[in-house]
Amino acid sequence: MSTAALHAEHDSHHHDHKESFISKYVFSMDHKMISRQFLITGIIMGIIGMGMSLLFRLQLAWPDEQFGILETLLGKWGKDGKIDPNFYMGLVTIHGTIMVFYVLTAGLSGTFSNLLIPLQVGARDMASPFMNMLSYWFFFMSSVVLLISIFVETGPASAGWTVYPPLSALEKAMPGSGMGMTLWLVAIALFIVSSLLGGINYISTVLNMRTKGMSMNRMPLTIWAFFFTAILGVLSFPVLLGAALFLIFDRSFGTSFYLSDIYLEGVGALENIGGSPVLYQHLFWFLGHPEVYIILMPALGITSEVISTNARKPIFGYTAMVISLMGIAILSFIVWGHHMFITGMNPFLGSVFMILTLIIAVPSAVKAFNYLATLWKGNLRFTPAMLFSIGLVSFFISGGLTGIYLGNAAMDIQLHDSYFVVAHFHLVMGSAAIFGMFAGIYHWFPKMFGRMMNNTLGYFHFWFTFISAYLVFFPMHFMGLAGVPRRYYQFTLLKEFDVWMDVNKLITVAAIIGGIAQLFFLWNFFYSIFKGKKSTQNPWESNTLEWSTPVEHLHGNWPGEIPTVYRGPHEYSRPDRELDYFPQYLPDETAPVTAPQEGEQTAPTEVVPEKTVESSVFFAAIKRVFGLS
Amino acid sequence: MADISKFARRKNLFWFRKMKLNLFGVKSNSLFKKTLAIFGLMLTPIFLLAADDVVAAPTEFNPMAWDWSSILTLVLAILIILVIARSFDIGSLTEKITGKTIVSWNNVNAWAGIIFLVLGLIGVWYEMKVHGKYLKLGDSASAHGETLDSMFYWTFGFTFFVFVITEVLLFYFMYKYKYDKNRKAAYFFHNNKLEIIWTIVPAIVLTFLVLRGFSTWTKITTDIDKNSEEIEVFGYQFGWKARYAGDDKQMGTANFNFISGSNPLGVAEDSAVSSLVQELNGEIVKLEAVKAAIEDSSKLWKAQYDRYVSTGMSSSYPEEFKIMKSKYNDLISGAYERQLEKDIKRKNTAIKRILAYQKDHETFNGTAKDDKITTEIVIVKNKPYILKFRARDVIHSAYIPEFRVQMNCVPGMPTSFAFTPIRTTAEARATKNDPEFDYYLFCNKICGAAHYNMKIKITVVGSEEEYKTWLATQTPFVAPPAAPAAPTAPKADSTAVKQGTVVKN
Ligand code: HEM
Ligand SMILES: [Cu+2]
Ligand SMILES: [Cu+2]
Repeated sequence: MSTAALHAEHDSHHHDHKESFISKYVFSMDHKMISRQFLITGIIMGIIGMGMSLLFRLQLAWPDEQFGILETLLGKWGKDGKIDPNFYMGLVTIHGTIMVFYVLTAGLSGTFSNLLIPLQVGARDMASPFMNMLSYWFFFMSSVVLLISIFVETGPASAGWTVYPPLSALEKAMPGSGMGMTLWLVAIALFIVSSLLGGINYISTVLNMRTKGMSMNRMPLTIWAFFFTAILGVLSFPVLLGAALFLIFDRSFGTSFYLSDIYLEGVGALENIGGSPVLYQHLFWFLGHPEVYIILMPALGITSEVISTNARKPIFGYTAMVISLMGIAILSFIVWGHHMFITGMNPFLGSVFMILTLIIAVPSAVKAFNYLATLWKGNLRFTPAMLFSIGLVSFFISGGLTGIYLGNAAMDIQLHDSYFVVAHFHLVMGSAAIFGMFAGIYHWFPKMFGRMMNNTLGYFHFWFTFISAYLVFFPMHFMGLAGVPRRYYQFTLLKEFDVWMDVNKLITVAAIIGGIAQLFFLWNFFYSIFKGKKSTQNPWESNTLEWSTPVEHLHGNWPGEIPTVYRGPHEYSRPDRELDYFPQYLPDETAPVTAPQEGEQTAPTEVVPEKTVESSVFFAAIKRVFGLS
Repeated sequence: MADISKFARRKNLFWFRKMKLNLFGVKSNSLFKKTLAIFGLMLTPIFLLAADDVVAAPTEFNPMAWDWSSILTLVLAILIILVIARSFDIGSLTEKITGKTIVSWNNVNAWAGIIFLVLGLIGVWYEMKVHGKYLKLGDSASAHGETLDSMFYWTFGFTFFVFVITEVLLFYFMYKYKYDKNRKAAYFFHNNKLEIIWTIVPAIVLTFLVLRGFSTWTKITTDIDKNSEEIEVFGYQFGWKARYAGDDKQMGTANFNFISGSNPLGVAEDSAVSSLVQELNGEIVKLEAVKAAIEDSSKLWKAQYDRYVSTGMSSSYPEEFKIMKSKYNDLISGAYERQLEKDIKRKNTAIKRILAYQKDHETFNGTAKDDKITTEIVIVKNKPYILKFRARDVIHSAYIPEFRVQMNCVPGMPTSFAFTPIRTTAEARATKNDPEFDYYLFCNKICGAAHYNMKIKITVVGSEEEYKTWLATQTPFVAPPAAPAAPTAPKADSTAVKQGTVVKN
């Protein structure tokens, strides 16, 4: 990096800060480097998770066929070219865990919160760069432990990504509940630590480190989304840690939090009495439901920003977007019971959760309509990022609508744990969030690596992925409606499910095509890091603050003072401007550059003008809700 | 640049920076070494924990046996893709050099959106046509299922309408408003009227759906016919059993402590439970004997172990050696003895609990004797049933898609589901035009390796008589002492059916 002068001055302040290889690339405390570390780890985990899904899709489509390659790859788990049923469960479990936590929580939030929060609010770095570094390395350790668990002799955790006890608590209940499960719990504990360290940092940076003029209601929607996401994570992950701790106690120290009245074949009646497996489910889903929004909200934030930029048009209903994000965030804490309608929970409780769940559909609908209204009368540039954002909107609609079926307790009797659920969450959470992540990567790649990705490859990547995702997940709705259960190793033993064999084949073929399409992306990504076209400073002609930093990264982001912010992030195509964008950091031409905006005080950089918090949308919304003003 | 130095100084606040590290004689105050050391310390126990269990390497490294044709195909495929990928780079390079746009990608993408939309909608229509007929909707085999199906159609109508409208708009906008450098996008931020409309309308529709869902759900779960006949359904790894009350119309109580080879459901029946106690006592005696002989067996295993090591058999028979090494380790470390003690303690607890129950005549009231444990469920059309679920080991879920029935079976928490079948198996066979069709109850909660094959057949018969005939062929738990076959008792007033209870601790 070509900022020797800056570093010279920088170094004089703390002597031991040498930019050695280790401090620059390994234990970096620079948010931009940490975001790259998160991204690349996330991509690697994504490749593994996706590879696993292809393996078990192979089994589902051709259960009677033998694939030599499976034996080569899996050793004893692939004897005679067929996946062992126990290992199939392990694959499904690790696939789910990797995708949900490692790719779409750490890989997505970790990457873009780290990259964009300081850059878009105008801060030199995170509130605590050191905690930020720890956050990555805890995530890294967690990934390593999870990957080790796959190679354990008794197999990885296999009780599904939700690891319900007693199945996950009793070593004798299935092979995967032995050492594999122990490592899974260790990995998740480390993951939670990482997520908390990150989340606390994101929240404090957003609240305390905005540059002059960056009041809350001028923040890009990305930042709002990351902010709410971090709050959700900080409030809900500790509950999962509690659930996991109780599970560890039950497994290793003979307690009975989740265990009662159990007789195990080959062991006999267990001593445990008085626990409840349903307690675990309550604790798990208290995290689990916010978790799906932890996955989705950053993707929605990214999409808002990308769509507004590439439609060259202000995002429609900024305030409505923020309020609906806030509504979703709050409601997401009180709907967890919709995962438990048929656990034997009190039916009245089920009714309450049903009502709350269907309420959450309203803010979600508002968001979808707002995206459409933003596209309307826009001037759309189809960069790959824009295409992926449009893809997200499409998935968000088609996956979100099926939530109305599942949120209805009565209909959930039939649909629970069927392929309908698999279709629903893969569209609304899996595909939508992955598309948001791709949109983010294509859009901010120039900011991350100073180079451009190849657009043509991006188009091919998009269309193949988009089509194959629909081909994979759409037919699953029909299977689910017909009562085909999920987490089944094969269907050929059950005649009534035989009619779905050709659909299963179609899905697998589509999944393989989707897998191949990712090669376009991987090539494009890694090649462009080194050989891509050099980026200009503001390649997408965007308004937000990150594009005012130099292409070459430097510690502290801006060479001089942090720019002041003069207006909201979405002033595209203003009629009084010749250009179709008007960056936040350019002063109004009519007003003198140094004049402070109305309602703001001149304050030192990095310190938020006191008034702004109060005037923020957040408080305005709260006031409105409680009728205070 | 004042604020950069301020920023840099702030990082110095951490105690961690000032801390001096002295680990295993390595002194350092480098931040990175300290961090590395701490991570190392945290990971070490995990590695130690896992090291023994992790398969070090495939036992035999035998590339000859690998599936080379697949590997080569895969590699080749990847190479081809990468070459294609590379050629795009060159393509855009030539565009750069010649300065001509060969393809206007913006238009291509806009059109691709329209094509996708049209093909997608055709695909949706095709799916419905082809797979619609496999959907179980419209021929629910239970009474409440018909309400569910009608609710499904309402929801489907609403969501499908929204789905089509919004997706069409999305791709239409994509085409209509594609970039044109002579045009400027509209400049507006919001429109209150529009926003209120699209908040209120979904809210109203959802209210309607919620209210219907609410009333249906409440009816299904709480409005239960008092005359319902009870059947117990018992899930275990990996299968189902059902229990009928027998001639006395009373379901005996049951408890997991009573489960044994001859009493798979653990019903409270004196002779079965007494023999279980005997069995357990016998096992305890055996375990005690093993424990007493532990000194000797340790010696034996040690001799074995030493022989393996000294003769080099440990490397020529790695598999056997591994097994015996772990046995040996367990013996030496005392883990084996602790395990024995645990087993003994558990069995003693079981005996204690059983004996306590046996004193309680509420539990052992003899009603279990004539209960019939079956491997098939037979029910009568138009008769209300309540299925009582129990699980032996882990959570299972009783799922009968044809009846729109599902309920989890949870160890330690009895659950139930009430329904009325309205279509006999024979009728279903006729309408489905499939003479081999049968109703099944599947397991729908992941429960282990054979989860995918855990089912029990349900037969719906048309008349009480057919059912009675079938039930007569099933043996009661304790065969009656060669009494003359009792004529079927006059149909008892079914309100007298006493609710069998499951003993809870
Ligand atoms: C590469 C494309 C993908 C394919 C082909 C795929 C396919 C599947 C299939 C067939 C299942 C098993 C369903 C079952 O038997 O229950 C599954 C489970 C799951 N997938 Fe994916 N999936 C993909 C990507 C994703 C993504 C992006 C996510 C992120 C949310 C995800 C999250 C999950 C989860 C949470 C489960 C449930 C695991 C469990 O049952 O414990 N998948 N996937
Ligand atoms: Cu949820
Ligand atoms: Cu099961």
